[in-house]
Amino acid sequence: MSRVTVHELWKEYGDQVVLERVNLDIPSGEFCAMVGPSGCGKTTFLRLLLAMERPTRGRILVDGRPLPPEPGPDRGVVFQRYSAYPHLTVLGNVVLGLEFQRAPLLARLFGAARRRAEDEAMAVVDAVGLSHARDKYPAELSGGMQQRLSIAQALVRKPKVLMMDEPFGALDPGTKAQMYELVQGLWRDERMTVFMVTHDLKEGFTLGTRVLAFDKTRHDPDEPGAYGATVTFNLPLDEKAERAEIVARLPALAASDADE
Amino acid sequence: MHRSLKRVLGFAVGLAGVAAMTLSPAMAAEKKDFKVAWSIYAGWMPWGYAADSGLMKKWADKYGISVEIVQINDYVESINQYTAGAFDGCVMTNMDALTIPAAGGVDSTALIVGDFSNGNDGIVLKTGKTVADLKGQKVNLVELSVSHYLLARALDSVGLAEKDLSVVNTSDADIVSVFSSSVDSTAVVTWNPQLAEVAGVKGATKVFDSSKIPGEIIDLMVVNTGTLKDNPKLGKALTGVWYEIMDLMAKGDAKVLEHMAKAAGTDLAGYRAQLASTMMFYKPTGAVVFTTSAQLPRTMDRVRSFSFDHGLLGEGAKTKDAVGMAFPGGKTLGDPNNIKLRFDAEYMAMASEGKL
Amino acid sequence: MGRRIINRHPGRGSALFWGALPFLVLVVLYVTFSALRLAENPNDKLLPAFASIADAIGRMALEPDKRSGDVLLWADTAASLSRLGLGLAGATLLGLTGGIAIGLVPYARAGLAPVVAVLSMIPPMAVLPILFIVFGLDELSKVVLIVIGVAPFLIRDLALKVAEIPSELVIKAQTLGASTWQIVTRVVLPQVVPKLADAVRLSLGPAWLFLISAEAIAAQDGLGYRIFLVRRYLAMDVILPYVAWITVLAFLMDWALRRFNRSVFPWLARGAS
Repeated sequence: MSRVTVHELWKEYGDQVVLERVNLDIPSGEFCAMVGPSGCGKTTFLRLLLAMERPTRGRILVDGRPLPPEPGPDRGVVFQRYSAYPHLTVLGNVVLGLEFQRAPLLARLFGAARRRAEDEAMAVVDAVGLSHARDKYPAELSGGMQQRLSIAQALVRKPKVLMMDEPFGALDPGTKAQMYELVQGLWRDERMTVFMVTHDLKEGFTLGTRVLAFDKTRHDPDEPGAYGATVTFNLPLDEKAERAEIVARLPALAASDADE
Repeated sequence: MHRSLKRVLGFAVGLAGVAAMTLSPAMAAEKKDFKVAWSIYAGWMPWGYAADSGLMKKWADKYGISVEIVQINDYVESINQYTAGAFDGCVMTNMDALTIPAAGGVDSTALIVGDFSNGNDGIVLKTGKTVADLKGQKVNLVELSVSHYLLARALDSVGLAEKDLSVVNTSDADIVSVFSSSVDSTAVVTWNPQLAEVAGVKGATKVFDSSKIPGEIIDLMVVNTGTLKDNPKLGKALTGVWYEIMDLMAKGDAKVLEHMAKAAGTDLAGYRAQLASTMMFYKPTGAVVFTTSAQLPRTMDRVRSFSFDHGLLGEGAKTKDAVGMAFPGGKTLGDPNNIKLRFDAEYMAMASEGKL
Repeated sequence: MGRRIINRHPGRGSALFWGALPFLVLVVLYVTFSALRLAENPNDKLLPAFASIADAIGRMALEPDKRSGDVLLWADTAASLSRLGLGLAGATLLGLTGGIAIGLVPYARAGLAPVVAVLSMIPPMAVLPILFIVFGLDELSKVVLIVIGVAPFLIRDLALKVAEIPSELVIKAQTLGASTWQIVTRVVLPQVVPKLADAVRLSLGPAWLFLISAEAIAAQDGLGYRIFLVRRYLAMDVILPYVAWITVLAFLMDWALRRFNRSVFPWLARGAS
């Protein structure tokens, strides 16, 4: 439900240019899969969108307004690891977002307010298929279940933009397939704008409505840090037919990307 | 496992051997090498001089023995070491001689009566002008030491008792800084050189000192009775060197006094001031008279009553008679079958007769 | 040749035997030399027989003292434990607030981390004379010694543990709309308090050391006071049981803190994390 506009974005660490000349205009409700070789700034871009870091130059606008300077509840996140709080149960992890919102001082809800929040949270826990594990701690969950929990946690505050940093990178193939189904269903229901970093081209083309490829267009062999990466192609996949065709060509694409 | 067991047992036996050498009681027998301990105090500085000047070696050589004089920084530790058997002799006060080695079953002889405190120990108040003002105060002192005894005697003199005030055990090293800077500390009992410092604090009054109980706090050279009996040469050498140095001090030999002052951490004037409140027996004759007087048993009776009341004679002591004491002329106090502290004027008499 | 010694493990019974052996050796050595010394001198105080130690325990733990009317062991224990408790509580509070501030708030880290690092290098015993002058000879200076002896370590340890919380968890809380205060109370505190309890366990040894040193120098009661008082007449029959009692107390405190962690934070034990 949010349009994300990026204008002449640069990110440098000292002499090292990580991102340069990034320009994007993503319409609301898109599922953007960000692909590209390691170290080409996909995750940095995600951190900039989250406002974990500030751009060196350029602007990011959400619905025409500048991005707030720090992370906030309008932009949710799912990391590859360490997304759930180890000291809270599944339900506790999900209720936490509502408690932050509704109990500024104690961050704890009691009585009727707590029951209401738990009901809301349980709806989300149900949606990610974890109702049977509501009283378990994250350490007792499998990797896939932990990522489901992390997604539920992020969804409970109904963010306008959801960012995912290789959310399925540590999962086995069978679990991945289930997670794809889950994420696509949730995305369709909530109609939020999604940015997902992935290593896996096939995953990107399967889930995304748009694929953003990051890479360097200029190289200085003597000074690898002199030039940064940018979005080398920005491919909307609205047409189902086109998507099918690209997915079919994937092995070839993957081969060209084999140095990852 | 058997092999390692053997190794462990071997180790244990070795350990036992080391422990046996360090922990076994000193066996009394004729020997040639002796060790005595001393710690810094106005009346004991001559022992440091005896070691540094070579006079101790001169006297030991004369009797064909060797005597090592070891300075111990912590006074109580030096007495404990002597009691445990690490030294043949040690300097201490009459009260500590009774309560530490004698009460610990180590038969000890007061070989040399060097001096008694004649103002070297005192009670100083910040708020109050007389001993009676001690009532209800918190008093900083080294508990169970001669300071404590002095306090008890002072309270006696005005009809107060220890329960009328509270006693705070305070290390002698900290008494000066505490009394001069802390509002918590309003009364102290201590000895010189600390006494001079606390008495000099603005508004402080010295309400009592050991000159009011002359001859009750006595500084001694104490040696193991068994060792002395088997080795009279040790007694002769120690007494000999002591009175040679006493002669030098009595003549006011500035070089000797300067050396002692420096070792005591003060200057000549400071050391002379400390000696002024110390009744030194420069001549052996005076020490012999003091030791053989009828006053000494009376003093020791007071000391043993105080010690018994404060549990210093140990749990085995059911009465103050438990630890016996002997005085010149066959007079005894307490259990005659358990004489553990002997005042002996014999060697000092030899010195006064010039027989050393 | 059998296996290397690093590959040989004692069985259950044998481990028990090897564990008990050093204690046995110590007891046998003690009894032997105690008997030797007592044979020489029945009044020897250095290595009293177990019977006289038992007498002393009875006297200290069961009978009221002639002078004060208190049962000394319990009075001393109460005095020492209240000092230790206050000191550790103060140090823990400082450790928690300081550690979280330094670990979580960049300005607090910039402002406090260097001074805490320098303060933690000061040997606390060296400032004891200053403490006595500033805080007097009463309870306060003893409690303060424990606090300044233990708090810098706790602060630094806690700051490290806070910094070790994955940044993902803190970012995630922000994306859920949490304020700094909410992050402290709901994310940081629950995760570092168990680690704080571990750090306090490690501090027990130094805390006792500081307590006993302070009591040795100036006090009217306390376990350290008694040991250094009766040392004046070499009453090893009192000193040895007091040392054993302090060991037992320290052990119990350690055990209680371990139990605290396990019962208050069930998530620590659940699952294999």
